[in-house]
Amino acid sequence: MKEFQKIKDITYEYNADIGLAYASPVRGVWNIVHIGTLLPESHQIFVCPTSCLRGVVLTTAEMGAMDKMSTITVGEDNILEGDMEEALQIGTERVIAELPERPRAMLIFTSCVHHFLAVNYQRVYKVLREKYPDIDFIDCYMNPIMRRKTPAVPSLWRQMHRLLQKTETTKKQVNLVGNCFPYGENSDLNVLLERQGVRVMDINTCKTYDEFLQMAASAANFTFHVTANTAGKDMQIRLGQEWIPMHAGYSYDRIDADLQKAADFLEIEAPAEDEISRLRAEVEASVEETRALLDGTPVSIDYTAVDCPLELASYLLDHGFQVESVFIDVFTESRETFEELQQKAPDLKIYQSLGWNIRRMERGYDGKIIAIGQKSAYFKDTDYFVNVVENEGMYGYRGILHLMELLRDAAVNAKPMRELVQIKGWGCSCS
Amino acid sequence: MQLFMKPDYQTHVFTSTYTADVSGVCSALYELGGMSVLHDPSGCNSTYSTHDEPRWFDTDSLMYVSGLDEITAVMGDDTVLIRDVVQAAADLEPRFITLCGASIPHIIAFDYRGVAHLIEEECGIPVLPVPTDGLKSYVSGVGLAFRAWLERFANPAEYKDAPDRTINLMGVTPLDFSINDNVAVLRRTFEDAGFTVNCCMAMGDSFETLTHAYRAGCNVVVSSAGRKAAKFMKRKSGMPFVEGLPVGPEQTEAVLQAVAETLADGKDRRVWGKFENTGRFTVPEDRILVIGEEIFAHSLADAINRLPEDSRFGRTACPFWPDEDEGMPEAELITAVRGAHTVIADPLYKIIARSGAPKAFLPFPHEAYSGRIFRSEIPVFCGKAFRIDELLQRS
Repeated sequence: MKEFQKIKDITYEYNADIGLAYASPVRGVWNIVHIGTLLPESHQIFVCPTSCLRGVVLTTAEMGAMDKMSTITVGEDNILEGDMEEALQIGTERVIAELPERPRAMLIFTSCVHHFLAVNYQRVYKVLREKYPDIDFIDCYMNPIMRRKTPAVPSLWRQMHRLLQKTETTKKQVNLVGNCFPYGENSDLNVLLERQGVRVMDINTCKTYDEFLQMAASAANFTFHVTANTAGKDMQIRLGQEWIPMHAGYSYDRIDADLQKAADFLEIEAPAEDEISRLRAEVEASVEETRALLDGTPVSIDYTAVDCPLELASYLLDHGFQVESVFIDVFTESRETFEELQQKAPDLKIYQSLGWNIRRMERGYDGKIIAIGQKSAYFKDTDYFVNVVENEGMYGYRGILHLMELLRDAAVNAKPMRELVQIKGWGCSCS
Repeated sequence: MQLFMKPDYQTHVFTSTYTADVSGVCSALYELGGMSVLHDPSGCNSTYSTHDEPRWFDTDSLMYVSGLDEITAVMGDDTVLIRDVVQAAADLEPRFITLCGASIPHIIAFDYRGVAHLIEEECGIPVLPVPTDGLKSYVSGVGLAFRAWLERFANPAEYKDAPDRTINLMGVTPLDFSINDNVAVLRRTFEDAGFTVNCCMAMGDSFETLTHAYRAGCNVVVSSAGRKAAKFMKRKSGMPFVEGLPVGPEQTEAVLQAVAETLADGKDRRVWGKFENTGRFTVPEDRILVIGEEIFAHSLADAINRLPEDSRFGRTACPFWPDEDEGMPEAELITAVRGAHTVIADPLYKIIARSGAPKAFLPFPHEAYSGRIFRSEIPVFCGKAFRIDELLQRS
């Protein structure tokens, strides 16, 4: 078995999370610690065995945020004696007593072992809520054994926003949910909302816990990533806020339709025809400038950089780029997108970044290659790469314009790939 | 009042955690051409490769997680793991396979030995069962891994033909010695004194070299991670061992002398004297506190106590080290740190220091505690050239 397959040889059901899994040294994607630290004035407690704690503790230490996290180690005694609930309660109370400042909220992460031993942690939280009414406790989960049903990141976005309580909402205010980066000038949605005087709330930009709580008064939640869907649905049911998923792809018609949908709900003016025409022309010119600069230099794309890598590959191929490969472990885009790309570029290489064979892959490329994303950069061993994760605030025409800028920069300016890709939680500024 | 109250090892308000046993297994066997399989849902492999394995980027050694999921665990369906390992082994052809695991296999009573046997039958490659549980420290994992490896691949009968003045270095992994010159200096320290280093278990030596681990007169256990293997070899062959780390000139001389004596009389030795510790986690106030891995902490504290009084502020040093199974009780740790005159410890411990307590904190990074964060600041502490008096002068 090779480390890659041609797209013509695989099916839409392709999934790399089957069989032994490899972990590359590429570390830019955010994990639950980075995300949890976005909540202002909060404190995290991880309750797990040593082997699970090690990763989250050192993630926190690398962020310089050890004052935002404590741990309760699960020991053999707890398993044998069945006193997980007591350990959780006593440990949490000790953390509260010893912290120099009282947190406004506590995110308590339990793990696989709690799930398997049917620990009644909800009862513990009930006791804690009664005893410490000034602290909001929220149950969070680091239980990868449940990843096929409830993966940890979508679950955390949902749980963090469960701190919000139902209140009267206004269409003058909306939330962006499930983003690791603030959205702004590189997002058509933000430009539209700001122009129309709609207040945009995002956990990324909340400075205080009280400000975060104000997100409950928003009429709508916009999500850009699949990992935010769980939170979007939950908030719609629980808080009565409209969930409006925005497709972070490259279809002009889809961008227009999504913005129209947003405008219709908020009862504001959607972008006018002439603005759309102007933006489309700008994008086309920028893409052509980029294509000319690359001049046939191949491109490799990975799923850690953008939400729709297959759609991006298709878009770039349509515009005359040479797309050599896509690194992706599971398809989250539509079957139509997959099949369209399959028809368009049947020999496109699809790499599993988790697959066991990729460990022994000869990293590199014969000639210059430009990567969009850290994993592509690492496996293709190139310093010419777009160093973004999680789409980094790009949406719509302005998102494509920014991506082209980054691509042009990547084509001419080498970066220290080895150093950059090993930094955990790229761009995390919550420390 | 509760008698025999156990310290609270579990709650850590401020401090970090040591590398877990599963990472210890992978680290121990990393250079021997095998394939380590960590039976666990996910996460342990990225923790290992990010924080516990400095060789990961530049080498292609094999370490994978099995990706255990809920339904497989509930059904106890070991055929999934067996199939996956056999498939990967067919592609990668490792020299041997190591099977270890974290907490879920532990609570569902996963049969490491049985599954290892089935995999081996199917693919014809030796499989080592190492029943870790993700609850203990790397000291346990490294120890279990070395013991399993020796049991399978080394021949105790070779001990009777061991050449004179030949030793093994036991417990050597980057978790305690990093990837600077420590291991080279450690080896040279013994060679310069006229000993032959038969094998260094396990950095810098090959699979073949280690198969002859019993061709030595004694084991030098330089980290507590090597203790299980040394005890196992003693039981199997009678090979004695010396526990001690040559750190600084005085301690190096003491270790070399102890090794020579053990080679002569076959008695086990520890190269440190008595300390003023009054309990497992209690030390008198106003001392020099050395926090770290057990043999390192004892050796450095002993080395300090061998210095002239004026080089150590007229004070003695006491070691403070984590329990292999339980870790470090934070309340006792805080009391010890804040009561000390000087603390020598990983920089991540500094978070529990308070203004003026201790009077001085000397950062001494330890890969098994802070991972890669301070790697570039880890000193070459092995051997005669390491000046402990100069270290103390920095306070």
